[in-house]
Amino acid sequence: MNRPTSFLNFRISEFPNLAIAIIFAVLISQTSCNNVKRYIYQVQEQELYQTAAQKLNLKTTDQFISIAYSHLFGISIANNELAKYNVSLQALGDKTTMQDMIVKSMINRGGVQLITDANMRSDIPAFIESTYLRFYNRKPNEFERWKMKDLIEKNTDATPKMIYYSMMTSDEYRYY
Amino acid sequence: MKRKQFIKNAALTAAGSMVVPYILPSGRLFAATGSRRANHVVFCLFAGGVRNLESIHKAEGNLMRNMLNGTEAISADIAPGIVQLPSLTSTPLQNAGTLFKEFRYASGPTGHYNGHTTAITGKYSDESIQLKQPPKYPTIFEYYRKHTSPNTSALNAWWVSNALGPYPYLNYSMFDGYGANYGANMIQPSSIFNGSSASVLGNPLTLSQTEKSKCDMMRDFMNGQFKIPQAALSSGIVNTVADAEHLQTWLNTMIYQVANGNIENPWGTGFMTGDMVNVYFGIEVMKEFKPELMVINMTDVDIAHFDYTQYANAIGVADYALYKLWDAIQTTPGMANDTVLIVVPEHGRNQDANSVIDAYGRYALDHNNDQMSREIFCMMAGKGVKQGQVFSQQQGESVDVVPTIANILGFVNEIPFGVLDGRVLSEAFA
Repeated sequence: MNRPTSFLNFRISEFPNLAIAIIFAVLISQTSCNNVKRYIYQVQEQELYQTAAQKLNLKTTDQFISIAYSHLFGISIANNELAKYNVSLQALGDKTTMQDMIVKSMINRGGVQLITDANMRSDIPAFIESTYLRFYNRKPNEFERWKMKDLIEKNTDATPKMIYYSMMTSDEYRYY
Repeated sequence: MKRKQFIKNAALTAAGSMVVPYILPSGRLFAATGSRRANHVVFCLFAGGVRNLESIHKAEGNLMRNMLNGTEAISADIAPGIVQLPSLTSTPLQNAGTLFKEFRYASGPTGHYNGHTTAITGKYSDESIQLKQPPKYPTIFEYYRKHTSPNTSALNAWWVSNALGPYPYLNYSMFDGYGANYGANMIQPSSIFNGSSASVLGNPLTLSQTEKSKCDMMRDFMNGQFKIPQAALSSGIVNTVADAEHLQTWLNTMIYQVANGNIENPWGTGFMTGDMVNVYFGIEVMKEFKPELMVINMTDVDIAHFDYTQYANAIGVADYALYKLWDAIQTTPGMANDTVLIVVPEHGRNQDANSVIDAYGRYALDHNNDQMSREIFCMMAGKGVKQGQVFSQQQGESVDVVPTIANILGFVNEIPFGVLDGRVLSEAFA
């Protein structure tokens, strides 16, 4: 007589084909991705993008706000504050405009981790490298390194705050 | 004349004869595709589920003294629970237009979102409606923006919602060939213009024109390095750079005024309900942007699920807010004498009460698809609408609003044949 099989009385020995399939799947998962380089940094254990083209998905409202906050302040946003920003973002159809307003308000608050203008200009390549890593979660390519350096050098009144703001309101920042 | 010169001259003459008639005195290159009855439409969803019994048929007395003729006294047992707001006019709105007393929400579930979707798309919906995604069929905003020539700015179309949840999705659809590119600007004012939002948005970074140009230049470079993925979800309505700046300036002005307590009692009533707040900021949208098409809703009457007397009270408050809207239309340059106002509930409520009893001994009301929950009204007033006309017999449906708006704004013939369920309410026009 066939017994009804519930989760509690499930016995693998009664399902030999399933057992083989599980063992096979485990072996595949252990061996299939060994050649992919994984860049893991210790601070937040985030995997770096190797190019901007890897970003295929639009950030949700929660993601955009909490990531922007942690990028600027270096800490997680409190739930009640996240809720306030989130409601504002939901309440306007033009998300780009509200994201711009949110970034402008966050970046103008005390506690933002902001490099000084003098420090930026003392080593512009290092500033560009660290800023791309911080906001885009990837390294700049050669062209970006050259062009951003050129822009910063030629525009002597461009401040780190203006550069942060520009990056955080760019198209790439809205995707992951 | 040489042959080559002759051909060139002939071609130029032919091209000129085709183009010149379309250059209008206003400077527009092309006329709108059809003649317009008015240049602005404000569509107010008197929503939340209101029965004809308490509204149009005045079963509890005239709760809508700014909209309907009559001085019938409010039922004595619930009168103490009704706030007596000052009357705003001696000539109620119905005298300025046409009233359909027996309009119908004829098909589909009598749910708030179904009713809103039907009113805004001109299509009846069913149980398969999704709350977390845009409607299946194009909205009136998309028809307007796609089929009005020349293409209009998104600031010309507004959806002013008094609630979040699924309602923000109603500014554009997923329909092929329409979508976010033709959608309306959406705002849910009470979620942005309040002390809480002002505390996080109220002190923005300000940039000089030079600083802004430099940020734009850097951002342009960054954007040039990133290709927006085709497969990604739509990020919603997008304004042009100039329109987005206009929008942001206005939002910041409103947030500043809220943060400084300048908008606490704007109508001098001593209180502001959700419906009043929504209409107040809808009027501000209207004054600032003078949209050709604005849809706004009220939903406070939905308290009827729990408190009948407060439902009756909310009908009166919504009537007051509605007349404020009408009054603002009449006094806003650019909209005065060039606007049609359309007022329709999304659906009614059940004939039979539920078991919840209020402080005045009255039972509350749900809305579950019975006949009475399909009985609604429609009021149209403004430019080109017959004044003082009343249809007491059953006439018109909620799906007729979209084609009627399209007719007023002159693009009804451009809407693909067979998409809409309704008809133009021609009998309302003079």
